[in-house]
Order: sequence, then structure tokens, then C-alpha cells
Amino acid sequence: MPDPLSSRLKELIVDTLRLEDRAPADIPDDEPLVGGGLSLDSIDALELVVRLEKEFGIKISSSEEARSALGSVAALAAFVRQRADPARLPL
Amino acid sequence: MRVIPASIRLSAVGCVTPFGDAAATHEALLRGARALAPVPVQGLEGGDLVPLALLPGRALDETAPPAWLPAIRRLGDGIPGGDWGSPGRPVFVTGSNFGVGGLYALRKSGDPKYAAWGAPPTCTEQLRGALGWGPDVSIVSLACVSSHLGLLEATRLLQAGLAEEALVLSFDFLSPFVAGGFHALKILNGAMPSPYRERSTGSIGLGDGAAFAVLSRSGGPWKLEAQSVYNEMHHFTANRPDGSGFFRCLGPVASAASGRRVWFKGHGTGTLEAGRMEVAAATAAFPGAPIVGWKGSLGHTLGSCGLVELAIAAQSLSTGRVPGTIGGDEPAMSAAIATEDFTASGFDGVVCASNAFGGAHGAFLLSHA
Repeated sequence: MPDPLSSRLKELIVDTLRLEDRAPADIPDDEPLVGGGLSLDSIDALELVVRLEKEFGIKISSSEEARSALGSVAALAAFVRQRADPARLPL
Repeated sequence: MRVIPASIRLSAVGCVTPFGDAAATHEALLRGARALAPVPVQGLEGGDLVPLALLPGRALDETAPPAWLPAIRRLGDGIPGGDWGSPGRPVFVTGSNFGVGGLYALRKSGDPKYAAWGAPPTCTEQLRGALGWGPDVSIVSLACVSSHLGLLEATRLLQAGLAEEALVLSFDFLSPFVAGGFHALKILNGAMPSPYRERSTGSIGLGDGAAFAVLSRSGGPWKLEAQSVYNEMHHFTANRPDGSGFFRCLGPVASAASGRRVWFKGHGTGTLEAGRMEVAAATAAFPGAPIVGWKGSLGHTLGSCGLVELAIAAQSLSTGRVPGTIGGDEPAMSAAIATEDFTASGFDGVVCASNAFGGAHGAFLLSHA
């Protein structure tokens, strides 16, 4: 069964970045988000970080931390799980 | 790429920073003083504390007219001569912010008083009236190399014989809109900047700053011996990862400085990747040149940094002392990074460089006339 948080993150990526040619389920857990198949750039990363901070009430403190968190969906899920209030995580 | 090899004189330069004029700023940098201090990123509305260097007594919040106007007037009082803005004495206004914070304040408050200063043309027109300039005023803006482009355009006009003197004036004063943008990118965060230092995360500071330079065909104590600009057109927030844009820009200036001993005033905001690329290019182009960066104290004065730091570099040439790189005690990225002040004697000049969003680069060689 898919991880609910990973599924939600994929939905956020597609919605925030208006990826019309990708379905959330098509994004592999381990694909690099920046510089990978999704071809996200720094402005995409900015939009995504802002959305993540609002959705999960987390803080990303530096560009290096953002780059690490956005390594892949799996890395992002681990980052959010570590930082977010559990009550804000999808069940 | 645009390269101007011929020599143009600078008859006057000046700047204003949180420390005061060019002399006061130079003296503060020699002491290792830091103008940066933690300030809520959204001003009165709060937010995370980030390192900002504001003029004394000025709050980050937007006002109309802008709270920085008296500082610009004082700077204007120090510009020699008259008839600025006439055909023989054109003005180039550079910078990256102008009054953009006013547009944000207008959007939030709906108060039309903010509109008058909000965009480059309206802001420049207000400034023209405040400083008594004529109509021959041009606006040149390209992020953090704005001043370099303004100097270049002024130089071209002088070399074409279309002006006797030209004034380049640049100003960038912070607002919640500008600070908030850099904060959203996470490069302006809670840490003080440590330019050219090896650390785990990068950070920049932002600063208020304004400056001017009077370029002349006839005389002046300093000369611009070579100017180079280069735009990678790579991405509007990023340089090419191989750093080639830095090399392309510095190459022509290195040719002009061949056989001469120079020191290098770098851009050095405190970001890690760009810092490493800049150091690699500078050490290759100018072997043995000590590298300094002053944004660890003054913060990044954005489109005005090239002109603000030109004024301080000219002050260094005149006084014979060069302030070292300010900020941080982590290991330097290269042995070429000068962390202490040093004497300018024995050097033939200084290469000043700036880099901008979009992979835009600017550099010039400044020396005694």
C-alpha cells in the first residue's frame, strides 16, 4: 500500500507546479526532483517549499537544506515526517 | 560580452551605507565592524530574524515618501558640478529595487501615495525632481550588475564624444518585499553571511546602499582601465554549474591587467556555490591576487553593490589600506582570501567584480590615474 505522505507529496508537486503531463502516481519515490526527470528548477523548488511550509507547518532554513529535502519524494517524505507535527500528516 | 579597454577617468565617487559616507565605511571595514544585525524579515509584521544592514534610524517598513530620501539628498549634495541631466552631462540611474517595496505597500494598503515611488520610471522621475536634474536621465537595471552596466553605458557615451562628463548614481534600499523574496529563496536566512568560507550552509545579508561616480574624459584621480560584462543567459536564478560565466567575464580584464599586480574585490555574498565558482575563476585569472569581499559587513546592496564597493575600493587606493574580507571564522575557500586588511602599496590596481541572477557578470579594473 502506498505511503499516504508520499502520495500526498506527489499530489502537491503536480498541483503546485501544474505538471499537466504527469500524474502523481507516475512520480517514482526515488527520482531526483531537481535536475531529474521532472526537470524542476530553482523557481519550482521555491514554489514547492512555500507550499510545503504552509501545508505541514515546517520550516526549511537554508537553500542547502531545501536541496537536500528535495532530493526525491522519499527524501522529502522523511524530511517532512521528521519535522512536522504528526497531527498534520495524512493518515 | 562587452569589453571596453580604453581608459576613462573617475573625477568623483561617493557612497552612503549604514556606516556613513565612503570614508566612514572604509574606516569601519578596516575595524572589522559589521553593519548587519538581525531584523524581522517583514518589518513591523514580524517574521524570522534575518541579517539586514539598514541606515541608522530607518525601519524596514515602507513609507511614502521613502524614509531613505534624505540619505539620497545628502549623497546628491556631494556630487560635484551642476547641470546634471543636460545633454553634455547625462545621468544614468542604476539599481535593482528602485521603489518596488512601494508597489507591495500599495497592494496591501490600497493607498495611492505608494504608487509615486513604486516603479523605476516613477521613482527615477521623483529622484530627478529631488536632485534638480534635467531630462537627460536614463535607467539601467540588471539585478546585481546594474551598476556595472551603468558605468559601461556612461563610458560608451563619453568615448563616442557625446558627453563631457556622465554621472552614474545607484541606490537600493531594503523593504519587506525585497527581504521577503530572498528569504523565500532560503539564501537569506537566520545566519550571518561568511563570504568565501567553507561552511555547511550558505547565507547572505542584505544592506541599504547608494553611490555615485562621475566619469570624465578630461581628468580625475582614478581611472577605469577595462570593463567587462558577460551574460550566460542560463537561468534567471542560477549560474552555469561549471562556472564558465565567471571565467568569460574575468578573462578580458585579466588581459588588460597582464603583467601588473592587482588585488581582487569579489562579489562574495556568502552563498556557497557561487562563492566557490568566483574564487576558482579569480584565482585562475589573477594568480597571487588577494581576494576580499565586504558583504559580510555591509550586506548585499544588490544592484548598487558594484558602485558602493567601487567607492570603497577608490577610498582604499587613496588611503593605501585595503579592508580584508569580513565575516566568519570558518576555513577560507582559498589561501587567496585576505581575512585581514593589507597595504595597497605595491599593487597597480584593483579588479572589482559583481555577479547577478541570470548568470550575469561584470568586472572592471580600477587604478590611480
